[in-house]
Amino acid sequence: MITQQQSVVAPNALKPKTTKLGINLAIAYSVFAAAVVGTFAGKSFAPNGFELVVANHYDLWFCVGLALVGWVFRSVGGHKGAIITMTILSCFIILTLNQGQLVRYLSLSALLFSMGMYGMGQSRNAVRVLISIELMLNAVNLNLIAFSRYVDPIQLKGQLFAIFVLTVAAAEAAVGLAIVLQLYRNTSTVDMNRFNLLKW
Amino acid sequence: MSYDNLTALLSLPVMETWMFYVLSALAICLGVGVLHDRVVIRSGFILIGVFGTIAGFFLLLSAQFLAMAQIMIYAVAITLVVVIALMLTNPRLEAERTAEPDDDNMPAMAKFFASCKRNMTLWISAFSFITLYVAISGENRWPVAGLPVAKDQVKVIGEALTTTYSIPFEFSSVLLLAALMGAIMIAKNEPLHDPDEEPKKAIEDSKTQENNLALTR
Repeated sequence: MITQQQSVVAPNALKPKTTKLGINLAIAYSVFAAAVVGTFAGKSFAPNGFELVVANHYDLWFCVGLALVGWVFRSVGGHKGAIITMTILSCFIILTLNQGQLVRYLSLSALLFSMGMYGMGQSRNAVRVLISIELMLNAVNLNLIAFSRYVDPIQLKGQLFAIFVLTVAAAEAAVGLAIVLQLYRNTSTVDMNRFNLLKW
Repeated sequence: MSYDNLTALLSLPVMETWMFYVLSALAICLGVGVLHDRVVIRSGFILIGVFGTIAGFFLLLSAQFLAMAQIMIYAVAITLVVVIALMLTNPRLEAERTAEPDDDNMPAMAKFFASCKRNMTLWISAFSFITLYVAISGENRWPVAGLPVAKDQVKVIGEALTTTYSIPFEFSSVLLLAALMGAIMIAKNEPLHDPDEEPKKAIEDSKTQENNLALTR
């Protein structure tokens, strides 16, 4: 855990860092709020969903506690990744605690898929983009196997599809990393912003 | 504890819920670590943990064959290839992205929109997750069959792969062979000029020079 004790001593040096951290934290907590709104929207499709949430509000309290722990981390000057992880985890737990088992697995795979999508769009290293694609393919596999467990447990079509996805993922990793190696030889960089060979 | 006892224990709803949340906490933390860690090779090694926890999910979903295949293919082979590629390339990027200075005179809305523009991918992924969740959740949305899992899963998978899905199976083997050869061809470091062409070119150059000399005389 990175503490910022030195910057507390010098308040002038603290200021730009806190604004940046504040923006990031505002984003994290707005995502959290959007997830809470989303859970009520999702529950409202079901009959008596809202009453169910109000009746079992232990998960809400759990979530508030996690958010408080995140706030304590932030006030100590905690690591950004810890705050983000805590936010995502609390969102995930509040969203899935009252759901069925299949929906839990599906929402976990949706979460992993969107995390992979974020990494694919945001990272500048080409190899990290490939890692994010692997994460997305894994989320798809989890989805297929959850379906084959709960919807089709006799014929196991989902597991067969997952085997083919595994094969294609292996091929994709080999070819993609070979392309990255060749690009590195030609341009001597792996920065995604500098791959402008096809630019006219 | 024998294997049947373990499956019986894992099929209890409370136990499965606890295992699910422990594994999902691990998977989310390690996934954030993969995306957030500044050192790329460390994130490549954290990827082994993510794949391992997903193999744990497969075991929880009683897909033992695919859990083993996941560990063998993803957690060992693909991670090894990724790490080797990281060692062969230079993951150090030239310059960190220059952080745009937050102007204190900017109004709050402008600051908000600037941060939105900077974190566009985050917003897109969060919005896609919420959309997916709203589409997924809700009761009685999926036709969940309350059947127990088949005992001989490997037999079912093997029979389906050799009878019903035999043509895609063969095509996937051809695809793997083609991808392997293509990867080797792409990654092979071949020189830009053929070494035999150099002396020929020199000879031709000298000939043209002689011709030019003869013409000038």
